[in-house]
Amino acid sequence: MTIDKAAPASASILVVGGGISGLTTTLEAAETGYEVILVEKNAYLGGRVLQLNQYFPKLCPPTCGLEINFRRIKDNPAIHVQTMTEVVKVEGTPGNYEVTLKTRPRFVNSNCTGCGACADACEGEIENELNFGMDRTKAAYLPHPMAFPATYVISEYISSDDKKRCEEACKYGAIDFSMTETTTTVKVASVVWATGWKPYDATRIDNLGFGRHQNIITNMMLERMASSTGPTEGKILRPSDNAAPKSVVFVQCAGSRDENHLPYCSYICCMASLKHATYLRAQYPDCEITIYYIDLRAPGQRYEKFYEKLKQDEKVFFVKGKVAEVSEADNACVTVVAENAVTGKKVRQTADLVVLATGMQPSLSTEKPQADLTFNDSGFIVNDFEKGGMFGCGCANKPADVVSSNQNATGMALKAIQTVVGR
Amino acid sequence: MSDNTLVNPNLEFIDEVVGLGGDSLKKCFQCASCSVACPIAPEDSPFPRKEMIAASWGLKDRVVGSADIWLCHECGDCSTLCPRGAQPGDVLSAIRSYAISEYARPKKLAKMVTDKSKLGILTAIPAAWFALMAIITMFFGGTMEKIFGFFGVHWIHHTDAPIAHANFVSTWLVDATFVPLATASVVIFYLGLKRMINDMHENALTEGKTDKQDLDIKELLKTVPTVIPKILKHQQFNECGENKSRGTAHMMVLYGFVGCFIATVIAGSLLYLAGTAGPYSQINPLKWFGNLGGILIVLGAALMIKDRLGKDKSSGYKDWYLLGLVILLGATGLLTEMARLAGSTFGTYLVYYLHLILVFHLFAYVPFSKLAHFVYRIAGMTYAEYANRK
Repeated sequence: MTIDKAAPASASILVVGGGISGLTTTLEAAETGYEVILVEKNAYLGGRVLQLNQYFPKLCPPTCGLEINFRRIKDNPAIHVQTMTEVVKVEGTPGNYEVTLKTRPRFVNSNCTGCGACADACEGEIENELNFGMDRTKAAYLPHPMAFPATYVISEYISSDDKKRCEEACKYGAIDFSMTETTTTVKVASVVWATGWKPYDATRIDNLGFGRHQNIITNMMLERMASSTGPTEGKILRPSDNAAPKSVVFVQCAGSRDENHLPYCSYICCMASLKHATYLRAQYPDCEITIYYIDLRAPGQRYEKFYEKLKQDEKVFFVKGKVAEVSEADNACVTVVAENAVTGKKVRQTADLVVLATGMQPSLSTEKPQADLTFNDSGFIVNDFEKGGMFGCGCANKPADVVSSNQNATGMALKAIQTVVGR
Repeated sequence: MSDNTLVNPNLEFIDEVVGLGGDSLKKCFQCASCSVACPIAPEDSPFPRKEMIAASWGLKDRVVGSADIWLCHECGDCSTLCPRGAQPGDVLSAIRSYAISEYARPKKLAKMVTDKSKLGILTAIPAAWFALMAIITMFFGGTMEKIFGFFGVHWIHHTDAPIAHANFVSTWLVDATFVPLATASVVIFYLGLKRMINDMHENALTEGKTDKQDLDIKELLKTVPTVIPKILKHQQFNECGENKSRGTAHMMVLYGFVGCFIATVIAGSLLYLAGTAGPYSQINPLKWFGNLGGILIVLGAALMIKDRLGKDKSSGYKDWYLLGLVILLGATGLLTEMARLAGSTFGTYLVYYLHLILVFHLFAYVPFSKLAHFVYRIAGMTYAEYANRK
């Protein structure tokens, strides 16, 4: 692997996005013998998957698979990784693209050994984006304990005092504040867009009270809390008082399948909430969990089995009816209101913690690059296989779980290769 | 699911509801947000989620005979929150129109009133009728005097005014038209209500929405006085979030009609009891009620029209027919008076002629048009109150 140095002036394939889909496309293409440039907006690879505590339905840690992928990348000289890099524009035609890339300064060069002396010396803190702002991190930081590349990053908002402290603390001359934003161009035959998704902004769902009541959180926030690398070191706690919740309500389709927000089903939220129920059951054996849903979607045999198992759980309750109103109750609890469509009665339930199962919005829906791509109304890339050349994969293409994303990403690696070899 | 239910869809019913402005019906996926969004839905069996599924499954009896459809004031809060654009507010409004046609007899007339293409013929009937009445009044006064004299009654209600409506169409003929028409409407309403109230009770029993086993009409009637103040105060309307302005506009029209009704009662008493014929002095209390009523009707209707034009909610013929009728009724009423005060004989009679046609529409077609809601809504709200629907 070649990392963070100037990318080669040309390669066969450019993969945009280093999440699970981008990693897969990169590896599949590179291991078939094609030169790949992988660019990632963040300072680290792994994307959304790196934020997850466990995969459903096996409940195994994603770090395991990521580690293997990172190893494969490291060992492969055909892969060129550029972090903190975005695509500005793509010009040209299939087989012959010129791509303009913009790289933000990391202020840490390849001399970094990951010793952490800079972070120890740095006093100023910034919001921890990886944990959705639930905690803070030093302005000189390693984004994740198993960040890859394992190189520290320094925020552009670091104070001048901290700059000095960091420079003095680093024994390897790895800190370089002379770095600036750079623009480079590369020539490639094919581009695969694996730009992924972001959680839908829950503050926009006015009737569900996120941002107004402290103990209403999103599913991805819960995921971070459940993770040992998260803000609470794995404990799921109420934000208002850091107490263990005795009752938790899940609000399915929070923003998804809603013309006022995301008109489509985000595919993963039902399974995610079921998985979250298992986290809670494991941590708090007495905690009661209620899942409010329109219809529960657990597609496929293995997911269905997972759902069936949770249905047997005496502490997990399912209510058919979408939560449409929330209000704050005593002791910072939250009352949700829904109509139970099976009994035909309005339900008012007060819980310690409410989790909004927010859906996925394609990253490119809000910031479209200058490239000859076709998007649907929701901002997902519509692949034009007739034209070829550029392809969307994973959640840039449709809402999907990790398994489908990887299958799709493998297919797009093949499509990209077909473009490279002229079909 | 241990209970097996055989769904027997009434496909015609579905089509009709769709045609009456409920075209968004099938978008509903039963998330039940609407039942929560509704500020006036009861806790138990709230609406409109259950109406949405019943209507889309063609289960006519579950909705048409339900008191719940009359509790809805179409504020639109449900439609705003609906994630599918299924517009439950519009669907319920369409179901209410269907219910009006369902309970009104004769059915044929009900169909005509809701059919845009029949507006011409429905207007031509009163137009021809009042033209005939005007000809009789203006050219056959002598003959009429002889006929009336035979019964010992005067044909002409004497007045010295240079312009008097009675000189154009005799008050006798006006009343001989409207009193029977109003009576017929009352009878049609009575028959419709009888069936509707029974249906409402049956529906409430099936769905567990009442604590009364047997329907006691006397008790039901005793509940009416508790409902009337709610209607006069527009309590339900004021709980709406989305369409608050409509409450005020509706209140203006309602009070406008009440004012005109009072004016009519005073005029009738003056004419038939005191023997004084119109036009009456401008300071007569009857004029205050009439003028204020007319102004309220026109303003209220104008506000409602503005509201409907500004919204993307679906408005169909049933809505425009009623709003058009209301604003024109008020406008022609006021214009007749203005033309008379301005001294235009031709203008007065022309506008009065139009006004009579519109009043005919009001009296003859009320049990079949959207306006019938004022009877059925009172019935629905009264039943819900009586049944302890909470």
